[in-house]
Amino acid sequence: ETHLKIHYILPREEQVLEAIDTRDGVFCAELLSFKHPHVANPRLQLSSPEDKCQQVLEPPYDEMVAAHLRCTYAVANHDFVEAALPVMFAVTLDLRVFANNAEQQLQKKGKGKVGDMLEKAAEQLMSCFRVCASDNRAGIDDSKKWGMLFLINQLFKIYFKINKLHLCKPLIRAIDSSNLKDDYSMAQRVTYKYYVGRKAMFDSNFKLAEEYLSFSFQHSHRSCQRNKRLILIYLLPVKMLLGHMPTTQLLKKYDLMQFTDVTKAVSEGNLLLLNEALAKHETFFIRCGIFLILEKLKIITYRNLFKKVYLLLKTHQLPLDAFLVALKMMQVEEVDIDEVQCILANLIYMGHIKGYISHQHQKLVVSKQNPFPPLSSVS
Amino acid sequence: MNRSAASRPRPHSRKAGGRRREEHCKTEEKADDVAPRGTCTTMCPISEVRQREAQNRLHHFEVLAGTERNRLPRADVCRAVKEYSRPAAGKDTTRASELRPPDVLLKTVCYLVDDVAACPSRQPWTEVYSFVFDRLRSVRQDMVIQRVSGPECASVLERTVRFLLYASYRLCGQPLRLYDPHINDTHLQESLSWLLECYSEGQHQHQDEFQALSLLYNLGSPRALQHALELPHKVRHSSPVQLALALNRAYMERNPVRLLRLAQRLDFLQACALHRHLLSCRRDLLLLYSHGHSSRNCRFPIQKLADILSLECSLAAQLCQTHGIHVNGDYVVFSKGSFTESPSEELQCAHMHKLVDDKQQDLSLSNIIHGIA
Repeated sequence: ETHLKIHYILPREEQVLEAIDTRDGVFCAELLSFKHPHVANPRLQLSSPEDKCQQVLEPPYDEMVAAHLRCTYAVANHDFVEAALPVMFAVTLDLRVFANNAEQQLQKKGKGKVGDMLEKAAEQLMSCFRVCASDNRAGIDDSKKWGMLFLINQLFKIYFKINKLHLCKPLIRAIDSSNLKDDYSMAQRVTYKYYVGRKAMFDSNFKLAEEYLSFSFQHSHRSCQRNKRLILIYLLPVKMLLGHMPTTQLLKKYDLMQFTDVTKAVSEGNLLLLNEALAKHETFFIRCGIFLILEKLKIITYRNLFKKVYLLLKTHQLPLDAFLVALKMMQVEEVDIDEVQCILANLIYMGHIKGYISHQHQKLVVSKQNPFPPLSSVS
Repeated sequence: MNRSAASRPRPHSRKAGGRRREEHCKTEEKADDVAPRGTCTTMCPISEVRQREAQNRLHHFEVLAGTERNRLPRADVCRAVKEYSRPAAGKDTTRASELRPPDVLLKTVCYLVDDVAACPSRQPWTEVYSFVFDRLRSVRQDMVIQRVSGPECASVLERTVRFLLYASYRLCGQPLRLYDPHINDTHLQESLSWLLECYSEGQHQHQDEFQALSLLYNLGSPRALQHALELPHKVRHSSPVQLALALNRAYMERNPVRLLRLAQRLDFLQACALHRHLLSCRRDLLLLYSHGHSSRNCRFPIQKLADILSLECSLAAQLCQTHGIHVNGDYVVFSKGSFTESPSEELQCAHMHKLVDDKQQDLSLSNIIHGIA
């Protein structure tokens, strides 16, 4: 029976898709309007239409249509209270989309400061948020609190776009202290964890970032390749910093071959290859905003390279010169013995090496037991 | 989420009234387009000169020589400069006769630099700074009201940024009532962001220089770094920007030895931009070495330490002692247990300015601020 529903749904969503593609604004607006007769169609009444919409439509239209369909469902069930939230969803979503468009128009004309429109939209959304968060009157089923996560996700999108991540903090606190946090729809929770994971990355809180992004990745809808790939772009660097390299198989599956050389370089301690790999796919990494995080992999690469030196020399008193030679072989520019000491000091400070440097003897003296602890146990 | 927004078509709402709304928007836009245009040809509008003269509110840099001791000192019209005034209800800031057009603004800035800031007879410099700071703020205010943009705007902002950067170094360590580094920083960041926005369109002669200064002043800032990574190829690969990026990379990799080594290659103004980070970089080096060299038999030569810290021996020793690191004649003993984060009051950044000082040599302040190296 679900099949039948989907089959009937499909033509309508494709109608929306066609309307968008041919820029037929009038028709599109009709399809999303409550005045159009389609609203009465029982086949369009799905309580959780997000997944289907994601498969057929691109963002942000997938969300808009899903919100609209939720609404039709609620209204058909004469549940105007329930319907109020989806209406708010649809309206706030429109707001964000239009703010985005306004931004781009302004940018083309060279007017206005970047982010102005989106910030204004965010202010509006925050008022909606406050209304929802403070809704203590209705019973739990009717509570406006159900709108909170949706709004928060919208606000996250804006804050990430205008690069004001610190504004996410109060929102995260609100959800953390809410008793509804595990009861929102999976789609909303996946989106939420994606953004919180990215924020944790930005704050260099890699263990937490791994937890959130992994959740997001695992619970993302199976058929939504695009979303899973997007999450992976951020999950991969985090996992690599924690010492877990992805398989070529995984990279191939999600069309992320840009990471293959990076992965190889880091695990081999090959600084030369790492620098080359970062340069080669620079544009991609910069656009995704992960270039700076990937540069942090240099420290892991130093660690792996130096571990090789240790394994090669089979002694616990390693001449500093050996590390200098290794770095020079990797064509690291203008490095001298003082810098080698600093790199080693940092690795010791971070817990990647157990030992100490003896300046008098120009040696690194490492612990006889496990001098290079596994990466996952550090940081 | 990242989407290739450029390729998505957007639905236009053409509901009833839509067209009317569009046309209304167009006329509104036109009205917004007409920014006030100033006609004042002097550094200070005559009306303000007369008013401040009558109210005895002239700054002594603006007073006619010989009239200082009068009950009401007379204004020297060639030296009076429009002061900054807080916008207030009922105050009309858009009167054309009181606004200075871009060419007058640039002349004003040049006067402030050459005849006030760089004038050696004007002492103390904290007073010079206060005056110039305020008058530059008024210049920016005139630019905002008239919506000046492009190269004219950049010329003014470039000199402003250079002045504020120099001040952040020169007045470092002065008492708070004479110089507030936080206020200087706020205005510096504002001017810098505005300048970088100007650069986003068209070609600009000094763009490389200022992108680099921004990276140095904002060492380690992910925002500044991401912005730099997205710069056009030519700018990004210019030598000042590459050097600034290299310093940032050393900072991100937590290699203060490398950072301080690269800092030796900076020119005077770049060193001014970086200078507020130097103390914490040196501290970080001591922290890392406290852990990395921690052993009972540790003997690290003070001279070597001074070299990598870019400090004189005595200052290096003082810095160590401040952080709980034991100094034993010609050596220090690093120990991870004894390092303390909180520095004592006595040792200030200002005592360790030699790295920057040495770079000034015989450069005149005027040349530094106008960008003639």
